[in-house]
Amino acid sequence: MANEATTRERILEACYACIARHGFARTTVEDVAREAGLSRATLYRAFPGGRDDLLRETVVWEMGRFFGRLAEAVAGAPDFATLVEEGLRYARAAILEHEVLQTVLVTEPEMLLPLMTVQTERPLRFVVGYLEPFLEREQRAGRLRPGVEVADAAEYTGRLLLSLIGSPGRWDLTDPSEVRLLVREQLLAPVLTPEALAAT
Amino acid sequence: MAAVTTAPSTEQRLLEATLACLARHGIAKTTLDDVARKAGVARATLYRYFPGKQALLAAAVATEAARMVAAIDAAGAAAEDLEDAVVAMMRTAAHELSHQAALQFALAHEPEQVLPYLAFSGGDAFLAAASGAFAPTLARFLPAERVPRAAEWCARMVLTVLEPSEQALIADDAVVRDMVREFVIPGLVPESLRTVHSKG
Repeated sequence: MANEATTRERILEACYACIARHGFARTTVEDVAREAGLSRATLYRAFPGGRDDLLRETVVWEMGRFFGRLAEAVAGAPDFATLVEEGLRYARAAILEHEVLQTVLVTEPEMLLPLMTVQTERPLRFVVGYLEPFLEREQRAGRLRPGVEVADAAEYTGRLLLSLIGSPGRWDLTDPSEVRLLVREQLLAPVLTPEALAAT
Repeated sequence: MAAVTTAPSTEQRLLEATLACLARHGIAKTTLDDVARKAGVARATLYRYFPGKQALLAAAVATEAARMVAAIDAAGAAAEDLEDAVVAMMRTAAHELSHQAALQFALAHEPEQVLPYLAFSGGDAFLAAASGAFAPTLARFLPAERVPRAAEWCARMVLTVLEPSEQALIADDAVVRDMVREFVIPGLVPESLRTVHSKG
């Protein structure tokens, strides 16, 4: 017997499939219900806010999956600076290879972008929450710059990471030596001691 | 000699009227008729200068951007060491952005209109343009090869705090000063170059 969590997951997967196929504007609750093999009533019970609620939750869900894959990819990193370097390279490549994202950025950016940023803080909270334990480890090892609090460092690093993977600017994030320079001379210079930054 | 003041040109009046309408009604609801009326010109006159809404908006944005870049540059030019210069430039940037009424309206009420110009490839374009506000001043204090990345770093800090949730933060001068000292300066230059005075 399907429980609420699996029904919700099934609906989100179906909505994502509809967006991938037709884009945001043409994805209706009816389409999603049909794709999921569920009734509209079931959909509205799971997403009382209707279509807007469903679309936003689908974007958040996919971002969660994206960051989950990212976390797996960097799981073995020996220290915070290496974690950040590997995370940047992986995340930037993954964004460029994300077909649905790249398509929607061209065809309907005004529909997607508010759902990723203004309407939810969850992706940022996820990244910040993920970084905190690693920063705590650095703090215990005496590798945080004096006066830097873990919470502030996590918030700062999270925001800058999201900025960099979306808009790398002049940096070539496919080049490991550029990423190393970016992370150790610029991004983490406010956070880690010079010794921690220099270590391989 | 007495100061000579010239009346604003028709083009200037149209651009000022555009910004006033945008600040009040937003992008979607501002019409060319509104702007013409506000500027006190005939619609046909408006069309002579700006063939349509897109052209008018682009010109208004470009004019405001140029004005802000000049203000940021002027703030940096007056400073005598690197830290004071960056603090002055970031405070000016924060002040200009938080007081740009049309931008604030859009961020608050119609983010979908502006986010494509601030995120992903739009973010890259913003960084390239905004870097120009910081580069000339940084060139007085830093080795030439460091300037482009340092300027982009400052521009990225500005971009990061442009989110609606951050607007209350950057309106506070003391907060900006602390942010610059804690997070911007360390990422601009290695410790050794940090207390540089002007190269001359």
